Amino acid sequence: MVAVTTEVSEKLQALPEAAAVALRMKAEHYFDVIRAMLDIFATKKSLDAIYVTSTIPSTSIINALDVLEIPLDHIWFVDCISQIMMSPGQKHDHAIYVESPTMLENLMLKVEYLIRKTADRKNLVILDSINSLAIHNNTKILSEFLHILVNNLRAKEAYTLIFSMEEYETEEIRNMLNLVSDETLQVEGEG
Amino acid sequence: MAPRERAEPEERERCITGVDGLDNILNGGIPRGNTVLVTGSVGTGKTSLCLEFLVHGAIAGENSLYVSVTENSEKLLANIIPYDFFDRKLIKEGHLVFIDLPVIYEKLGLEKLEFEFEEVNILITAIGNIVDELKIKRLVIDSITSVCYRLKTEENIRDFILKLGSMLSSRGCTSLLVSEISPAEERYSHYGVEEAIADGVVVTGNLERRGDLLRTLQVVKMRGTMHSRAKYVLDLTTVGVLLVPLLKGGSVAAATGG
Repeated sequence: MVAVTTEVSEKLQALPEAAAVALRMKAEHYFDVIRAMLDIFATKKSLDAIYVTSTIPSTSIINALDVLEIPLDHIWFVDCISQIMMSPGQKHDHAIYVESPTMLENLMLKVEYLIRKTADRKNLVILDSINSLAIHNNTKILSEFLHILVNNLRAKEAYTLIFSMEEYETEEIRNMLNLVSDETLQVEGEG
Repeated sequence: MAPRERAEPEERERCITGVDGLDNILNGGIPRGNTVLVTGSVGTGKTSLCLEFLVHGAIAGENSLYVSVTENSEKLLANIIPYDFFDRKLIKEGHLVFIDLPVIYEKLGLEKLEFEFEEVNILITAIGNIVDELKIKRLVIDSITSVCYRLKTEENIRDFILKLGSMLSSRGCTSLLVSEISPAEERYSHYGVEEAIADGVVVTGNLERRGDLLRTLQVVKMRGTMHSRAKYVLDLTTVGVLLVPLLKGGSVAAATGG
């Protein structure tokens, strides 16, 4: 599993500034990818990470980061899933909440807000994941959203990483990612 | 015959609102001296937008005045969004001024519930004097609907807004007049007169899309500048009003509140 972390962090470090990247992975590599991104890549580049989650609640990821001993100081969450789950979970200081993953404009607004709040450092914006956003939104609106978001982030010199779980990928999702990403990184998980 | 050269229209000086998204929509800001109607139903962000316009003005060294008609300004200040850029020093130093219109009514002896032509003139002169005395460059009246309520006739309302706009414009003062409309209203102002006379109309509203309620903003009219007429989604935050384009890919079910 260390191999996956090393592989991903090396691939990320080879990226050009402000790249928009589709990160294709198997679900089993999820936490290794997170470690590579947040603990190694963002730290080395002195980036503030804005983690948009529509897959699992931010509290679950925060708990995992705690186990992995990754400090939260420069990690912020836009949580689009906790409120729709109607769970009375604890709110976290480093998380802001969007009512539903269908409110894509509000998601963009929260990312913009966090970029302004962390203006002294460059940003890494992680979209976790295109597959879960595709459950709640049709392809047309999702493509439009990605197009606007990615171009906005590029203008702000932020890196964009879009997670895609291979198990749940469709032809439409692949086309969408090809359209908006500068490149696609495949997490091999070998060696 | 040589083609006649057409003179390029002179670019008007801009009043930068400080709300980045809005300044982009307006191609650099509101043309200075314009009187703009900010209209929408309750809870759509009109007051916050106007306050931010004044705070940015005050920070930029332009004296700014908020005329409160319905709400006590102390109460308003207590509920103001805790903007990261707001400093109470702006009020202490007189760059940001709050005045309650009922206090002015009282001082002017305008205690009647219905104003006639003469009272309209007294009120405009009084506002003009305040603008001169405090060297005001940005003004907000919140709300013009409540003032118009006392004017009763369309003629009086038209006369009031025309004179007010012209008085402020001649002083280089850019003004926002807040107008309250009900969500079902099909026009941009309560009396239907204000929108025709104002130099600009900014509409805030609520848009329901598949059960989600989004706050929106649209510049319908702005004299003196090219501008976008598209609808944007807004968020009221401590870094100010943020705007992003409304996504059109999905099915928009129903629009309410302008």
